[in-house]
Amino acid sequence: MTDLDDAPALVSLTLSFRPQATQIGPLRTLLSDLCKPHVADADGLSRLLLAAHELLENIVKYSVGEVAEFHLRLEAKASGLQVRLRTKNRAAPERMADARWRLDALAAATDPVAHYDELIRESAGRRDISGLGLARIPAESEMDLYYVTEQDWLILTAEGNASERVSG
Amino acid sequence: MSALQSTLTSAGGEGFQVTPKLVDFNLRLVFTGNGDMHATPVVNEYLKLVHEEALRIGLSQVSCDFKQLTFMNSSCFKSFVVWIDTVKNSEIRYQIAFLTNPNLPWQRRSLEALRRLAANLVTIETIA
Repeated sequence: MTDLDDAPALVSLTLSFRPQATQIGPLRTLLSDLCKPHVADADGLSRLLLAAHELLENIVKYSVGEVAEFHLRLEAKASGLQVRLRTKNRAAPERMADARWRLDALAAATDPVAHYDELIRESAGRRDISGLGLARIPAESEMDLYYVTEQDWLILTAEGNASERVSG
Repeated sequence: MSALQSTLTSAGGEGFQVTPKLVDFNLRLVFTGNGDMHATPVVNEYLKLVHEEALRIGLSQVSCDFKQLTFMNSSCFKSFVVWIDTVKNSEIRYQIAFLTNPNLPWQRRSLEALRRLAANLVTIETIA
C-alpha cells in the first residue's frame, strides 16, 4: 500500500458491476465530470481518461463471471494530483497467462515508450488481437501499471501523477 | 468537382462516423465521434477499402481529419497500425497525414507513435 490511502480523496469511486461495452462511454463521461473540476490541464485529464478507458475495455473484453470491480481515487499531494485506477476481474486461464506475460514484459522494460513502439512494430502484421491496450497506459498516460493475482482474479493497478491541481 | 471518382462512401453510425472527401489526388477522411469497441470493425474494414481505393485511383495522400474524433481506443489504433504497415510495404505508396485537434491532447500522444512507425510516410498537423 502507498501513502495515497492516508490523504482524503478529491474523488473516490468504487463500482462493482457486470461489465458491458455500452457502459464504457457513460462511465468515461462520469469520470470526466468527477475529475475535471480538480484537474488543471486538459492533458492531465486526457491521460487519466485514456488509462481508465483502456482498463474498462480490458475487463469488458476479458472478464469471465458476472462481477468485475473498478476503482478510481484522485487526491492532492505535495507533488500534484495523484490518481490510482484499479480493476479486478476473473480471467480464464489462457487470458491470465497472456496478461501476466504482457505485464511482466512491461515491468521489465526500462523505457515504456520504446517498449510500446516495439509492440506496435510486432503487431503491425497481425490482424487478430490488438494487444496494445495495457502497454498504452504507461506509454501515453505516463502511469505505472502493475498487477497481482488472487486465484483466478486479475487485479490491475495504474497510478501516477495526473497534473497540477486546480488552485483554490 | 474533381475529375476523379471515388467509390468510398460514409461509414459508421450513431456515435462514430467516417466520411470521405476527394479533392484532386488527396483523399480526406473526416472522423467524428468516439472510436470505441463498436467503431473498431468499422475502422478496420474502412481502412482496407481506403488502401484499395488509393491504389486504384493513384492517390498521393490520404488525410485523416481527427478534429471531431473525441477518442480512439487501442483496437482502433491497431487498425491504423496495420494500415500504415500495409502502405509501408506496398510497391505503390502514398503519404498519410493526421490532422489533429489541439484541444484533444490524446491525439498527439497517440499519433506520435504512428509517426514513429513510419516517419517517411506519416505527418501530423494541428488544425484550428
